[in-house]
Amino acid sequence: MLAGGQSLVQLLKFRRCRPSALVDINGIPGLDAIERRDGELHVGALVRQQALLDDPQVAESWPLLREAAGFVGYPETRRRGTLAGSLAFAAPWAELTAAAVALDAQLDICSAAGQRSLAAREFFRGPGETALGDGELIVAVRFPAPAPGTGAAFHEVSVRHRDYAQVAAAAQVSPDGHGELVLLCVAPTPHRVDVSEALTRDDAIADLLGRLDPLDDVEASASYRQRVAPVLARRALRDAAERAHRRAPA
Amino acid sequence: MSQRVPVHVEVNGRGYDREVEPRRTLADFLREDLGLKGTHVACEHGFCGNCNVLLDGAAIRSCLMFAVQAGGRSVETVESLAGSDGELDELQLAFTEHHALQCGFCTPAMLLTAKQFLRENPGVTDARRIREAINGVICRCTGYQQIVAAIAAVAQAQQTAHSIRIETAPPVRVAQDTR
Repeated sequence: MLAGGQSLVQLLKFRRCRPSALVDINGIPGLDAIERRDGELHVGALVRQQALLDDPQVAESWPLLREAAGFVGYPETRRRGTLAGSLAFAAPWAELTAAAVALDAQLDICSAAGQRSLAAREFFRGPGETALGDGELIVAVRFPAPAPGTGAAFHEVSVRHRDYAQVAAAAQVSPDGHGELVLLCVAPTPHRVDVSEALTRDDAIADLLGRLDPLDDVEASASYRQRVAPVLARRALRDAAERAHRRAPA
Repeated sequence: MSQRVPVHVEVNGRGYDREVEPRRTLADFLREDLGLKGTHVACEHGFCGNCNVLLDGAAIRSCLMFAVQAGGRSVETVESLAGSDGELDELQLAFTEHHALQCGFCTPAMLLTAKQFLRENPGVTDARRIREAINGVICRCTGYQQIVAAIAAVAQAQQTAHSIRIETAPPVRVAQDTR
């Protein structure tokens, strides 16, 4: 199934997948809408990652989505690559998977047998592995609106600017102090951390994260990721909290 | 998968009709089928940015897109920049003046990526924004400094040209309500 092709065409070139047929969905009408519906942000399967950076509604009401999208690939790949494709590919460093989990996104999945919805929090099964079955397609991703004035931040470290994340942290904090924190590359799937305590005790993050199960690969060692994760988590939560206060009405 | 399909693509203002294998990338189509070898391929899997071309005015990786997907759309390659008499355009001249290339391999992609940036952000000389715009194209020679300087120089010239147009514009006549 071909939408943006920014991951799939790579796989084809490496002969890591050899499909007998490729279906280009770019011609299907109605899949390219990014709009507010019933208080949710509805993002169709053909919406490009760049649209998350350009859309004023995203900037206003879903700041974490915008922060995360800014770390995805390059402008040239964001103009082709889609949000839905990034989630379906489920690379462990894919920034938008962290945003989808933190924002409690719902995935509308379609197949010849019918349609179902699944929470992003139940969708990821491992690096490159999801709950998507054969013949299933994500047709839309829906994001519930965070509380007005919610602040968001995304931090990541990589060997080179804009390269794959070694560790990444996505955080958002609402004006009433409710926080979400999701880390990448410290577990086989986007790792959601209960941060209710961390927001009141600044030194609690490292204890809270405890012993993680980080990836150990060519990008970074597991021990490096274990050490960096609390630092990024703290920075992301701090920045998100600051922005929440600033955005809240006086 | 050797069955060929017809495709019509506009490249540098000229329409081309060809029959291509569906798996032909846009980069290979431009180079091998149209003979436009200014589009360079290096990593061929989307990282280096040397194959960047403008699709409907926006830079994309031509190695990660199939030629059939460009059907009915407009592509600009580096060959579109110089005039038919070989006269270089302003960005090419600035790259020459600022020594913004050494081996020259990334230059076509840099020029096109910068072209789009300056069309969408005329007069923007901010080095940070220029660097953000070209950060998807890898250059292994220059260290980027001269490339940023060349793009900023064209932006500066755009500012000057814009202010001259304002100064020499005829005074605006406002219709007077005489009643």
